[in-house]
Amino acid sequence: MYLLKNGLVHVGDGTVIPDCDILTEGRVITKVGKGLDEADAEIIDVSGCDVFPGFIDPVSSIGAMGLPARYPDNGEYSEPVTPEMNVKYSIDPDEVNAQEFYKSGITAIGLAPTNGNLMGGQIAVCKTAPQKMRNRIVKECAGLKCSVTSAVKKRYGSANRLPMTKMGIFHLFEETLREARSGKEDMPKKRRQVILDVFDRQSMQVFCAASTKNEIDGLLHLMKDEAVHINLVDSFCFADSLKEIKEQKAGVILGNINCMSQIAKNRMELTKLVELVENGNPVAFTNSNGGSSEGREVFLWSAIEAWRAGVPAEEVVKMMTLYPAQMLGISGRLGTLEPGKDADISVFTGHPVVTYAARVKHSMINGEVIF
Amino acid sequence: MKRILIKGGTLYTMIGKDGIFKGDVLIEDGKIIETKESIHAEDAEVIDASGLCVMPGLIDAHSHIGLFDFNSDEAVDDANEMTDPVSAAVDARYGINPKARELRVAYEHGITSMLFTPGSGDVFCGQAFVAKTFGDNIFDMTVKAPAAVKIALGGNPKNTFGDLKRLPMTRMGVAHVLWDTFGKAKEYLEKKEKGEALDYDANMEALIPALKREIPCKIHCTQYDMLTAIEAATAYNVRFSLEHAWGAADYLDEIVESGCDICYGPIATYRAPGERRKVDIEAVKMLDDRGVNVAIITDSPILSEESLYHHIGEAVREGVSHERAVRMVTINPAVQLGLEERIGCLGAGRDADIILVKGRLGLDTNAAVMMTMVDGEIVYRA
Repeated sequence: MYLLKNGLVHVGDGTVIPDCDILTEGRVITKVGKGLDEADAEIIDVSGCDVFPGFIDPVSSIGAMGLPARYPDNGEYSEPVTPEMNVKYSIDPDEVNAQEFYKSGITAIGLAPTNGNLMGGQIAVCKTAPQKMRNRIVKECAGLKCSVTSAVKKRYGSANRLPMTKMGIFHLFEETLREARSGKEDMPKKRRQVILDVFDRQSMQVFCAASTKNEIDGLLHLMKDEAVHINLVDSFCFADSLKEIKEQKAGVILGNINCMSQIAKNRMELTKLVELVENGNPVAFTNSNGGSSEGREVFLWSAIEAWRAGVPAEEVVKMMTLYPAQMLGISGRLGTLEPGKDADISVFTGHPVVTYAARVKHSMINGEVIF
Repeated sequence: MKRILIKGGTLYTMIGKDGIFKGDVLIEDGKIIETKESIHAEDAEVIDASGLCVMPGLIDAHSHIGLFDFNSDEAVDDANEMTDPVSAAVDARYGINPKARELRVAYEHGITSMLFTPGSGDVFCGQAFVAKTFGDNIFDMTVKAPAAVKIALGGNPKNTFGDLKRLPMTRMGVAHVLWDTFGKAKEYLEKKEKGEALDYDANMEALIPALKREIPCKIHCTQYDMLTAIEAATAYNVRFSLEHAWGAADYLDEIVESGCDICYGPIATYRAPGERRKVDIEAVKMLDDRGVNVAIITDSPILSEESLYHHIGEAVREGVSHERAVRMVTINPAVQLGLEERIGCLGAGRDADIILVKGRLGLDTNAAVMMTMVDGEIVYRA
């Protein structure tokens, strides 16, 4: 039982409460409010600090790459359509632990397949604290990771296999959906089931890597009449397809912005994020870029870039907490500081979106103080 | 004669202990003439800098922009002549795409000079040079060439030649090439100085300025490989900096004793066994406290050029003062490269590479460059 006293509490949904206390018991938050008192609780003084729900990276490769290894554990490249694969089985806890994600406030990551397969498999959500694994898995089937980027054609085209072109990528996407729905016998049963669960029953959202304008436009055109919610991953050229993204209310998960010249190469117009916010599109950030992840620091850098581009600070906080939780279907447990939610809390010495001087002072995951 | 007076800003001169004060900067024909609390110059064009920070243009002391060219769909690598582990003679100026869009992003973010370096696929990767980020022709933009000999240890050269089943396939093989080449170069120089007959060797010629301590060696190394770099560089009495230097916190004493410089970065790589085991930006604070000249680098375009702000911000997050962090991207790299009489501070006689900044760069996350001046010419206005 912990009582965090007198923090500036950022709930995660846009509201900020000054001089606010948070009471935790076991794994969860039990009370949030002013002047809380609990004789049995260990008191943690967080006065002068900014208190956030643990941040969430919805599509991380780190933790499932299997380093050092000859083949990454999150790219089953035996064929381009493998939606039945679940990253849960590729988790390497040590790889997650080595990143010390919580030092950047990140307490949960969606471990995702790479961008190399058209349908790479299912995302598993895992907490970042070095705790018992069964307590760390939040959700096993949290999203279907897809990709329509050049990574797919490079992988298969070089072996003279479909898809060799962008045309091939979209053709294969269309045919896969049609075959699954037509009930043709030659599609493996498990594969069909996952595809129908996702696209016809919306059991989880789609997280599809699409970076250039033609990838984004092509994907949104193909998905126009689909009911499943689409999140664009990487989406470095989102500003070039603003109209379509707004119309379909697609989610945007910005890849690592400050890497591999994305801003210069794509002439990124980050100020257009403001329009997505006003339109109600969910936006999130990830440490990954092109399906491979960089270090924990870049998550905050992307958030800072959004703020520099004119997005209000508390909207940026939603992009780090509530929105990724909603995308992954885990907002019942993560993403906001409310009674009943998991006690995953990041305490900073300032607002990390606003000042570089903000450091993580405490990190709590599953109600355990780990830092 | 064109005179410009920048008035009423908070000057970050990067000179001396009391280098930050409110004042004016007078510029004439692309050079800084004077920096003091109040200057009157009736014939000068006045730029109002009130409410802004006036700083020397930033320097990124380790970049591959335009050498790794990401401007087309397929990335181009003109940074690595990986046909021989000793390729010291190749000159980075010939590998660069001067139209790389990153250069524009760089000066719009206040980075006015960069050291462009080949590497790190060879042990001796080639000759690095320093250039301004604004201009039309890379040879005209150049401030100093060659500015350094680029050397690389560790996984990059080992993998390059390991794939070919050639020396060096191992880290000990890399060390062998390093020692062997320095030894040959020393012999070559001695013969040359004695006037003995010798066959011209371009790679050996390229190492002479380093052996004479005219330019530094920039040695790519991380973790334990830092000791290898220090041992060999010390034995041949070259000036050197450890590039990247992840894990430097474990080798503080050795670094301090060697008197070498540090180019730390990029940060924000994932952690993994081996070279990426420890990525410790906090080392920057420890090194600075012990008097080591530390520059912070982005390795752009691997991490992008604009991430220089975030890089110094992470140093501030780990306890480096804002002012010390700014030194790491201005005067410190200038001194490392022997260019402190030209760039990196607002002293009289220096190139008028000046930026006007709203907010405190490296502390306020929304600090933004409002104007960039290169050689007294305004090249960007927000």
